[in-house]
Amino acid sequence: MKIGLFIPCYVDALYPQVGVATYKLLKSLGLDVDYPEKQTCCGQPMGNAGFQNMADELVENYDKLFKDFDYVVAPSASCAAYVKLFHPNIVNHECKAAQKTMDVVEFLHDVLQIKSLPSKFPHKVSIHNSCHGVRELHLSSPSELNIPRFSKIKDLLQLVEGITILEPERVDECCGFGGMFSIEEPAVSVRMGTDKLNRHLATGAEYITGPDSSCLMHMQAIAKHQNYPIQFIHVVEILAAGL
Amino acid sequence: MSTRDEILDNLRKNVRETYDMPDLGFKKRIFEDPVKAFIETTTTTAGAKLMEIKPNDDINEKIHEAYPDAKIISSNVPGIKADRNPDTVAEAQDLDGTDVGVIMGGVACAENGCIWIEQTMKEKAICFISECLIVIVSKKNIVSNMHEAYEHIQFNEKYNFGTFISGPSKTADIEQSLVYGAQAARGLTVFLTE
Amino acid sequence: MSTKHTIAAEKFLQNSEKVTRHDQTFWSVRVKRDAQSQELPEWEELREAASQIKKHTITHLAEYLEKFEKNATKNGAIVHWAKDADEYNEIVMDILHKHQVKKVVKSKSMLTEECHLNDHLIKHGIDVVETDLGERILQMMHLAPSHIVMPAIHITREQVGRCFEDYKISPEVGNYDPTYLTRCARYHLRDNFMTADCGMTGGNFGIAETGDIVVCTNEGNADMSTSIPKLHIVSMGLEKLIPDYKAMGVFHRLLARCGTGQSTTVYTSHFRGPRPGGEMHIILVDNGRSKILGNEEHWQTLKCMRCGACMNTCPVYRRTGGYSYTYFIPGPIGINLGMLKDPDENYHNLPACSLCCSCDNVCPAKVDLSSQIYRWRQGLDGMGHADPMKKFMSKGMQVLFESPGLYTTALKFAPIANHLPKFITEIKLNGWAQGREMPVFAKQSFHELWKKGKVKA
Repeated sequence: MKIGLFIPCYVDALYPQVGVATYKLLKSLGLDVDYPEKQTCCGQPMGNAGFQNMADELVENYDKLFKDFDYVVAPSASCAAYVKLFHPNIVNHECKAAQKTMDVVEFLHDVLQIKSLPSKFPHKVSIHNSCHGVRELHLSSPSELNIPRFSKIKDLLQLVEGITILEPERVDECCGFGGMFSIEEPAVSVRMGTDKLNRHLATGAEYITGPDSSCLMHMQAIAKHQNYPIQFIHVVEILAAGL
Repeated sequence: MSTRDEILDNLRKNVRETYDMPDLGFKKRIFEDPVKAFIETTTTTAGAKLMEIKPNDDINEKIHEAYPDAKIISSNVPGIKADRNPDTVAEAQDLDGTDVGVIMGGVACAENGCIWIEQTMKEKAICFISECLIVIVSKKNIVSNMHEAYEHIQFNEKYNFGTFISGPSKTADIEQSLVYGAQAARGLTVFLTE
Repeated sequence: MSTKHTIAAEKFLQNSEKVTRHDQTFWSVRVKRDAQSQELPEWEELREAASQIKKHTITHLAEYLEKFEKNATKNGAIVHWAKDADEYNEIVMDILHKHQVKKVVKSKSMLTEECHLNDHLIKHGIDVVETDLGERILQMMHLAPSHIVMPAIHITREQVGRCFEDYKISPEVGNYDPTYLTRCARYHLRDNFMTADCGMTGGNFGIAETGDIVVCTNEGNADMSTSIPKLHIVSMGLEKLIPDYKAMGVFHRLLARCGTGQSTTVYTSHFRGPRPGGEMHIILVDNGRSKILGNEEHWQTLKCMRCGACMNTCPVYRRTGGYSYTYFIPGPIGINLGMLKDPDENYHNLPACSLCCSCDNVCPAKVDLSSQIYRWRQGLDGMGHADPMKKFMSKGMQVLFESPGLYTTALKFAPIANHLPKFITEIKLNGWAQGREMPVFAKQSFHELWKKGKVKA
């Protein structure tokens, strides 16, 4: 199985270790993984700001780079969702690469259906169910819907030895990042982030983990500003812990 | 062109694609014992009281038992000793001051305590203006959900009005504190008959 | 980079305790709604049915309206048509004049807010009394609603108490107990019901097959308003029509569960014609609705039944309050309806969404609220309302992301940003720096690590 690795721009620049963990994990599962170097961004920052048309060339470029892989895997639910759901509309045609794009959590859970991992993480973690992971990719059951409860993130984390998995009250309320939203509505955004952080803290967790580094980045920025005693780690880093 | 025709014209012009009415045959929640469920809903979430009335019970005594302090009772239900009758008062205003209004209920719904009140009296004000309301409901008329309830509601053509009532009037408009007796009945008792 | 909403929101957020209270109040309604939805195994099928019924009705609206008109007329009601707010207000005034009405008791209607009816009536010397407790409080305080279902929840009991004292309807000065205050309002409104010449209501639903107008309230104020005066005027937007009782069963089960987290409102009243010796007028109001039907990207807003669930779940609404929005309907549906009404005035609300998509999941009629907000944003530049800073930033991203070479170079130099003094990275323009530390660029990006062969299994 040929896997194209998509490391979205901010993961690339701010959290390269998340990309490294994804690569290691996929390789350890015996996959053929490649990283096309000419990749940049999924285009969401422009789209959310109201300029998705400026992302058309980028979308075409993405399609060209990734169309021949069996799957494109990204350690970022929001970016994977944007590619999947928005790329075809931006360029007005089917995008092969977009159809094959998955967040790493859904890829591990749905495609590889992994049932065991060699990793250990003897810590208490609070899961951050990011909005696009929940409501666009269905990584877990949205709290608003009356459907059977599930969480692909939990399913995967439960394979890790020694871990204690917690979830905050208001299990999938937004952390207030929202891309351009965070700088256009800073007061609301910071308040949402603070509220969210406090609910994560109330679980007694040592770490906040999730499938989206963007949400984690946002909460981390607030936690740092207010000296909150909590650490942040991407789900894939936990899954790859010990590799 | 009249406003009416202009609006209808615009509505026709602006439709691009039409959609069919969906099939509503999906499975709906049914209670094994709708009567039991109705009693439960009425006396909890709906905030009402409920008294089971046996065939031999004297209904006027039961009214007294339910509201011993009531001075003015209004009703047009045969057999009820009433001080005022909504069929014969001159104006709706004359029913103001009613301590207890007694009315007949039709189909009743277990899932939410709704009781269909078909207007069968000249002044429907009795259903709302009375300080407390007694609604007589027959166990035979209890259904599980609103889909069933809507299959059974009836209208008196003379009066052109009917309403589902579930419990006493309530409001939470001041700081979300639940208060019974906003504008209409402050209390409601269901008389459940066989 | 600010709009009227961002400025008002920032101000609202300065009072942290008020924000907490506001957030918790509306979240608790969301929790009740969730509990109600969990009780019905067929919940998601009900939502899908509601969405499809609305789509069907809205795309056959002309036929259904004609059917409704025929049946309502047969039942003895008088049906009027109004193309806009002015025509609507005139029709109401005409009816009131004909009956020499001096006082109107009114139950809550968002449509009359939309058309500014009360101002119009007052200008013509009519005494208008709102009878929903929340609406009455706001009317006495000369305030607009801040939510479409719980319009005065943002007012404290002390404020209500003092207002009632000013109006001499609360004899016990200093008593701010909600039960006591509700009693005061009850007696005060009872007096008004007794002496009004006309009762006005909205319509939650109009039923084409029977000509019924259905009005749902908890207080019974719509019923009090129509049980005593002989004249009843109904004001209803065109889109409130549904085909029949089968459809009504579906909507009844959704409306209160979504709106207030109750399994039903206390009263669900079906008005099928005038009282004996009275008159019932039904005014069907377009006011832009037929035009919305022609809007390919936004016509589904017409499915909305004004339950308010999208506001209760919206993390931005809960923390910024109804008055932060420029349109009288706030929250996700209000952002969209405001844009449809007047984009030049209401584009200010478009930033008030983090695109969390929770509203899409609570909407009983499955209006695609967040996608619509996203689409409006795409159109802002064409309307001349794009924020120059956002455009500049997006343009910069475009240049950067379209050129992998440039992007890689930028990545190399990005860590330098870590060492810039705070006064540069935290300049006022940079909204991020308000309450947040800047993220730290990695010493080496993934790109660089990969290039250098440092990414290994």
